[in-house]
Amino acid sequence: MGESNENIQFSWGNKRAKGGAKMDTQFYGSFTFDNVKYSLYDCVYLFKNGEPEPYIGKIVKIWQQNEAKKVKILWFFTPDEIRNYLEGPVVENEIFLASGDGTGLADINPLESIAGKCTVVCISKDERNRQPTPKEQTVADYIFYRFFDVGNCTLSEQVPEKIVGLEVNVLLNPEAEQVICYPDQDVQGMNQKVGAGLVAPLPQSAAKMEDEIPVAPFLQSTAKMEDEIPVAAVPLSQSVAIFLPPSVKEEDKAQVATVPLPLAVEEDVLKPTQKVFKRTQSTQKVFSDKMPSKKLKLSQDLTTKNMPSKKLKPSQDLTTQNMASVPDVKVRPVPSAELPTRQADRSKWFKPMPWDEKLPLADKEGKLVYIQNLDIRFGASEIVELIREALQLSCTAKPINHPTYDDPNNGKAYVVFKSRSAADEAVMKINSGLVVGGRPLYCSKGLLKVPKPASGALVGHLTISNQKMNPRQREEQKKAVSTSHCSQPNTIEYDLALDWMLVREKQAMKFSILHKRHAGERKSFAAKMAK
Amino acid sequence: MATPEDHAESMTGEYAETECADFEARVRRTIYIDHLSPVVTRQVIRAALSQCANVVSVEFIENYTIPYDIPAAALVELDDESQAKSAVDLMRDFPFIIGGMPRPVRASYARPEMFPDRPSPPGSKMEFLWLKQGDPEYDGMNKLKSLAKRQEAENMALIKNILEEEKGLAAQQQIMLDANYYKYNMLENIVQNGTIKNLAGHYRVNLFDG
Repeated sequence: MGESNENIQFSWGNKRAKGGAKMDTQFYGSFTFDNVKYSLYDCVYLFKNGEPEPYIGKIVKIWQQNEAKKVKILWFFTPDEIRNYLEGPVVENEIFLASGDGTGLADINPLESIAGKCTVVCISKDERNRQPTPKEQTVADYIFYRFFDVGNCTLSEQVPEKIVGLEVNVLLNPEAEQVICYPDQDVQGMNQKVGAGLVAPLPQSAAKMEDEIPVAPFLQSTAKMEDEIPVAAVPLSQSVAIFLPPSVKEEDKAQVATVPLPLAVEEDVLKPTQKVFKRTQSTQKVFSDKMPSKKLKLSQDLTTKNMPSKKLKPSQDLTTQNMASVPDVKVRPVPSAELPTRQADRSKWFKPMPWDEKLPLADKEGKLVYIQNLDIRFGASEIVELIREALQLSCTAKPINHPTYDDPNNGKAYVVFKSRSAADEAVMKINSGLVVGGRPLYCSKGLLKVPKPASGALVGHLTISNQKMNPRQREEQKKAVSTSHCSQPNTIEYDLALDWMLVREKQAMKFSILHKRHAGERKSFAAKMAK
Repeated sequence: MATPEDHAESMTGEYAETECADFEARVRRTIYIDHLSPVVTRQVIRAALSQCANVVSVEFIENYTIPYDIPAAALVELDDESQAKSAVDLMRDFPFIIGGMPRPVRASYARPEMFPDRPSPPGSKMEFLWLKQGDPEYDGMNKLKSLAKRQEAENMALIKNILEEEKGLAAQQQIMLDANYYKYNMLENIVQNGTIKNLAGHYRVNLFDG
């Protein structure tokens, strides 16, 4: 699978400080990967296996330690990822830069997971931000001016002072207008040979660039790309050299269309004209988004082995990946093939909507199901997996047994489905006879009625009735609520407290006897069944 | 030479293992406190335990399943296992009062199934099968389902019983406390308004001897 890995060109750029506990970490300011030069604070696409959409982030640190090349990526969020917190309209191609503290702000990824460059322009009116030229804006893949605080999940137009410990000005538009992407180069004319220092002067690719023919430098990878395309009309030959004038502009789109190649392939390698498509056809936009560069496939391979990052957990084989990237994808749908796959998506990095808010909402929409008689050892992920395997439905789950009161023989969970009909179907099917590890599950729709937590005192927390207290004493009593102590044996309180300790020991005993009996009943029942 | 795929697999395997090991370590340094007053906040718990442990995080257990007004409970993560031990010992050996008297809180070591975000036990998988009417095990499974429901009802009945018992104890203690207060209040009044001197004079008792 990874036959072409070793072919990927790589070289370090300028060195920076050394660091790490054993001084074994070398930091860098730039590197060239697959003939594209990346520098600190560049915006890049990162690809994760199984995700149809690439992630977008900013490189904020580059280093090598024990042969492993790493980059720290500060994330951008797409509107979809933060939909729950989004207010107001979203500008076309708007994304949001992570800020604040918390999960989802930045992550360390293998350098090889970078799939290509991305042009992101900051249009914030903040004075620290060099205002982008109109040209920059038109060629930009994305724009941003809002910041998403991952700590408190709020959006702000206010430019923060620092993000991940960096002065924010380095994260906004760079001082000098840079030629940061291929289309830009096109406009400027390609003869000023790789002026932006984008492409390292490596023989194969440089030559090609000069010829203004972006032939995919790695034919193997090109061939692979086609592999992914359902309409794969092109033979997987090594001769797929795709000729495209890099200067294609909006009006030249017709020409592009006439390039004598199957459409799919064309879209695929159409990096230089990506923008054209983006503006005109939304389906293609999605598609070209997905394919930030021809390197994509390569990096996917790498991704599989190189993405141990806790966020981006590779779990899919290439088959699912292939299915997931069928181009009949409309604007961010869940492709049918993707539904049953593990969606370790980035939205999980954040605390999703807290369950106490989510549950009533799901209940109102009829999507909430209460499942009982599960094995208590299993966590939420197994329940989700079970539902996916048994019912082919995706859901979120929460085990809800109360540690003190619930019978540990009977595991309980809330499951929220994607729709009311899915929930209804699940209830019907589960109750009709789903047995998990010898336990017949049963379930019902909707939220259990549970009294709201009392706001007053706990049963057994006493105050002296009709006590005449002066204000100072009252103050002291109030304070007592927020304090704690060990009861001393010479007080009335101590005697009363011992009563409670006795009662609670008895209670614990009662629970344990009952639960043991329940376990015994289940066991003997199972034994009887087996006969 | 390991192929890239092998490599990837071992990575995920290791990853799952470390995740599990991390979780177990977290379980060991976490204690479970219940019989808490609903007015108790994180800060209160932090302050209460400050004498024996440093509180890393407090996660209150939400009641989703018990249809009664039950005391609050929380998982309290401490710095390490030894702190967890000393905190649990303290609260087991003495009536430990947080946020109200005289009912003490109860502490125990946390167990994995108390954590709503627990990972799966490694190497385990839920095996499932579908039963239809007519399958040989169908009736048996239905009976087992009824058994589970009956057990659930029994458990709820026990909870109800226990909560009523607590209410009874609280009411009885309230009466006792009020009576005690009344007694001491009366004594104080007698001393303050001089009645006790009159009485001492009347019965010719020396109040201040000894």
